[in-house]
Amino acid sequence: MNHALRRISLVILGMFILLLLSVNFVQGFQPASLAAQRGNARTFSQQYQFQRGSIVTADNKVIAESVHVKGIYSYQRHYPFPTTYAPVTGYDSLYSATGIEQAEDKFLSGNDPQLTVHNLIDLITGKPKRGATVQLTVNSAAQTAAYNALKASGLPSGAVAMDPKTGAILALASYPTFNPNKYATFNSAQLRQIDNHYRSERSQPLLNRAINQTFPPGSTFKVVTSSTAFTSGKYNPDTRVYAPTNLKLPGTTKELINFDNLPCDDGSNPTGNGTVPLIFGFTVSCNTVFGNLGMKLGDTPIRQQAVKFGMNDPNLRIPLPVSASVYPPIPGHDPALTAYSAIGQYNDQVTPLQEAMFSAAIANNGTLMTPYMVQKVTAPDLTPLSTAQSTVLSQAVSPTVAADVSRMMVNVVKSPQGTAHNTAFLPNIAIAAKTGTAQNGANNTGLDDAVFTCFAPVGNPQIAVGVIVKGGGLGADASAPIAVKIIQAYLASQAKQ
Amino acid sequence: MPMPRGRRQTELAMLVFAVVVVLFAYASVGLSMTGRIPAGIVVYGIAFTVLMLLAHVAIRWLAPWADPLMLPLAALLNGLGIVMIYRLQQSGRDGNSGRVINTMTTSSTALQVVWSTVGVAAFIAVLAVIRQPRTLQRYTYTFGVIGLVLLAIPALLPASLSEVNGAKVWISIGGFSVQPGEFAKLALAVFFAGYLVAKRDVLSLAGRRVLGIDLPRARDLGPVLIAWGASLLILIFETDIGQSALFFGMFLAMLYIATQRTSWLLIGGALFVSGAYVASQLFAHVGERVTIWLHPFAAQNVYTSSYQLVQGLYGMGFGGVLGTGLGNGQPYWTPLVQSDFIITAFGEELGLTGLMAILLIYGLIVQRGLRAAVAVRDPFSKLLAGGLAFVLALQVFVIVGGVTRLIPLTGITTPFLSQGGSSLVASWMLIALLMRISDTARRPAPQPIQEEGLTQVVRGG
Repeated sequence: MNHALRRISLVILGMFILLLLSVNFVQGFQPASLAAQRGNARTFSQQYQFQRGSIVTADNKVIAESVHVKGIYSYQRHYPFPTTYAPVTGYDSLYSATGIEQAEDKFLSGNDPQLTVHNLIDLITGKPKRGATVQLTVNSAAQTAAYNALKASGLPSGAVAMDPKTGAILALASYPTFNPNKYATFNSAQLRQIDNHYRSERSQPLLNRAINQTFPPGSTFKVVTSSTAFTSGKYNPDTRVYAPTNLKLPGTTKELINFDNLPCDDGSNPTGNGTVPLIFGFTVSCNTVFGNLGMKLGDTPIRQQAVKFGMNDPNLRIPLPVSASVYPPIPGHDPALTAYSAIGQYNDQVTPLQEAMFSAAIANNGTLMTPYMVQKVTAPDLTPLSTAQSTVLSQAVSPTVAADVSRMMVNVVKSPQGTAHNTAFLPNIAIAAKTGTAQNGANNTGLDDAVFTCFAPVGNPQIAVGVIVKGGGLGADASAPIAVKIIQAYLASQAKQ
Repeated sequence: MPMPRGRRQTELAMLVFAVVVVLFAYASVGLSMTGRIPAGIVVYGIAFTVLMLLAHVAIRWLAPWADPLMLPLAALLNGLGIVMIYRLQQSGRDGNSGRVINTMTTSSTALQVVWSTVGVAAFIAVLAVIRQPRTLQRYTYTFGVIGLVLLAIPALLPASLSEVNGAKVWISIGGFSVQPGEFAKLALAVFFAGYLVAKRDVLSLAGRRVLGIDLPRARDLGPVLIAWGASLLILIFETDIGQSALFFGMFLAMLYIATQRTSWLLIGGALFVSGAYVASQLFAHVGERVTIWLHPFAAQNVYTSSYQLVQGLYGMGFGGVLGTGLGNGQPYWTPLVQSDFIITAFGEELGLTGLMAILLIYGLIVQRGLRAAVAVRDPFSKLLAGGLAFVLALQVFVIVGGVTRLIPLTGITTPFLSQGGSSLVASWMLIALLMRISDTARRPAPQPIQEEGLTQVVRGG
C-alpha cells in the first residue's frame, strides 16, 4: 500500500501547488484589476481609513480637514468654511472629487510616489498613514471679503484676486455656491440626493464662476485694444483720436454709439465729430473711439495681443482647469465685427480670472505671471515636498506700454470724470481700474453684466482683481465696490503682519 | 542501534513558539484597532497557553512517540483562528472602525476559546481511549452505522432544526448548533478503512482489460456505487456539495490506497463528475455555484449570488502581497467572513505571504500524517492515516480553491480556523487519530531481554 500512498502524496502535493498558484494569482497578479471591479467597497472606502491631508490657506487657516469619526470609516472630511471656499476646495465624496481635492488628490491621499518612503517608514514604525498638507496661496481675509461681497450682490457672480508680481491667487470666489460638507456624507443614498439636488438647481451652484464661466468683457477689453494701439508705436495716451457721437460701421446700417448715446467730449470736441485724447476716451469709456481704433488696428493684431494676455488658452491649470477666455476669429476680418470686438462685445468671452490677469500684467510692468493656487505641499512629518515657483506666462506688453495703460487706468479712478471715480476712489489706496458694462442677450435685451478689472496700490501693486456680476448693470456700480472690498481686506491683512 | 527518540522537547519548544506567535498576533490586532494591547490578552493568553501545555503533557503521557510537529502546527492554526475571530468580532465595536458583523456577537471569541477547550479535551480523550489504532477495526460496522446516522440526521430533521443559511447540515436546538457531518467524516474514515482492509483482496481482482486499464469485476462495483449514491443524497437533501465531495473523495482515495487500482479512481472520478453535472442541471442551487464560478463579476451576479465570493476576492486583492496587517483591512464587507470565508480575511490582512504560510502549515500537517501512514505496519492504521490525511488536504483544497475561484465554491469549513465548534473539535480528533497512529509507527519494538556481555540466547522452537 506504500506505493499507492506515495502516489496519493503526489496528488496532494499537486493540490497544494494548485492552491499556492491560485492565491499567488489572486493576490500577486489580480489586485489592480480587482480594485477596478464594480462594487469594490474597499477601494473607495480605503481613503477614509486614514487621515487625508488638510488644505490650509496662505495664512494657515484650515479650510478642509479629516476628522476622526466612528463607524465603517475612520475619517470624515470637514470643511470649516464650506461656502466661502467651495470653489477652491471643491468636495471629496465617496465616488468623486472636484477642486483642489481632486487636483491635489495624490498628495492629500498620500499616494504620491514622493510619499512612498514616508509611508514605508510609517508602516515600519507603526504610525498610521496620513496624507500631505496642501497650503494654498489664498488669503483668508481676501477670500472672505470676496465671497461675502458676491453673496451680498445676490447675483450669479465670480471674483478672482491675484498677486501681480508672482501670479499667486489671493482669492477665488463664486456665488451661488454649494456646501461641500454635504458631499462628505457616507450615506450613498443621501449623497445621490444631494448631488441630484445641486445638479438640477437652476442657479448652478456647482459651477465655479471664477474660472469656469465666461462672460462678455465689455469695456474692460479696451485695456487690450489700448495695449495693441500703444504696441503699434503709432499711439500714446495723448494721441488725439477720432471720437464721433455715432460711429458709422461699414457694410451695415447699424451705428456704434456710446453709453446712453452720450457724446464723447472733453470740451475740445463740441461738434461730436472731432477728436479727443485717447486717455480721455479710455477714462470715460467711449465706445466710438475704441470701435474706430479697433477697425484701424485690425483684428489680427488685437487677437495677438489678447493671446499675450492669456486668452484663447484652453490648457491653463491653476491647478484647477480654467475655461478658455476667447477672442474668437472674425469672419472675413469684417470691420464692423472688429469694431464690436474691440470694445469687448460680439463674441468676446472672459472669466473673472482673465479680468484679474489683464490688470496683473499691466501692474507688473507688462509681465504676466502664471496664476497658481498651491503654495506648498508638506509631508505629515513636516518635510516640504514641493514649493511653488513663480513663472512667467507671457510678456503681455513692454514696460513702456504697461506704464501708458497704467496711467490711463489710474485716470479711470482718479479723474472726477472717470467711470470708476464714484465707486473705487479711496483716499488712502490708489487704485487703477477699468470698468465694463457688457450688453448681452438677444438684441441686447438681457441685463448688462457688470465687469471690473483693477490693481492696487498704484505705486507698488500688490493685488490685481477681476470681478464679474451677471446682470449687475454698470460695472462701476455693481462690481467695483466688490473689488474695493477685496483690496481693502487684503491690504489690511498684509499691514497687520 | 540507537534508541529512537520521542522528540517531546522539540515539540515543547515549537509549541512555545506557536503560542508566542499567536499572542503577538493577538496583541497586534489590538494595537492596530485601538492602539492598545487588548485587555483580554491575559485571560485568553493564559487559557490558550494552559490548554496547549495540557495537550503536550497528555502526549508525553499517552503517546510519547508521536510525531512532534502536529501539535504545534494545530495549535498555531487554532490560535490564529481565535485571533482572527476576535478581530472580526471587534470590527465596528468599541470605537473600532468598520462595520459590525451582525452575524457575530461579542461572545464569539470566548465561545471559540471554549470550543478550543472542548477540542483539546476531545483530543486527549481520543488518545486516552484509543491506545491501539487497531482496536478501532473491531468496530468497523458500528462506525459505519454511526457515520450514516450522523449524516442522515440533518436530512431527516425538520428544516427549523437543521437548516442554517441554506445548508441543511445542522442539528440546531435552542441556539446550540452542531454539524454532525464533521464527526461523520471521522466515523466513515474508520469504517472505510476497516471495510477496505477486509475486502481489498477481492476489490483488487482484475476483470476485463480495456485501453490498458484493468477494470474491476462488475460485481465489485457495489461499494463504489453505494458511496456514490450516498454522496449524491447528501448533495440533494442537505444542499451541501462540499460535504458530498469530501466523502466521496475520501472514499476514492482510500479505495485506491487499499487496492492500488487506478481504474477505481477513474471510475469514481467519472461517476462524481457526471453526478455533479446532472445535479447542476437539475438543481438550481448546484447550477448557481457553477454560474458564479464562471461569471462572478457579471452585473446580474455581483450584488446577489456571487456577492460573497466577489467580496472575498476583493479582500484578498486588497491585501496584496504583504497584506494590510491584522486589524487594518476591511474583511467586514464579506458576508460570513468568520466561517467559510475566513481564509480571505487572512489573505487580506496577512497578505499572500501569510496565506502561503498558512497553506504550508496545512501541507506540513498532511505530510506528517502521510508519513505516519507510510511508517505504520498495520494495514488498517495505514489506510486510516492515509484517508484522514487526504481528507484534511481535500477539505483545505475545496475551501481555499473555492474562495480563490480555482474550483466552484462550496460551503465548507476551514479546519481549525473557521468559527464554529463542530469543525474545531472534529479537527482536533483527527489530529489525535493521526498522532495515535504515528505513535504506534514510531514506538520502538520491545527490546529483547539481553544481558550485557553475553551472547544472545536464541531459543529454538
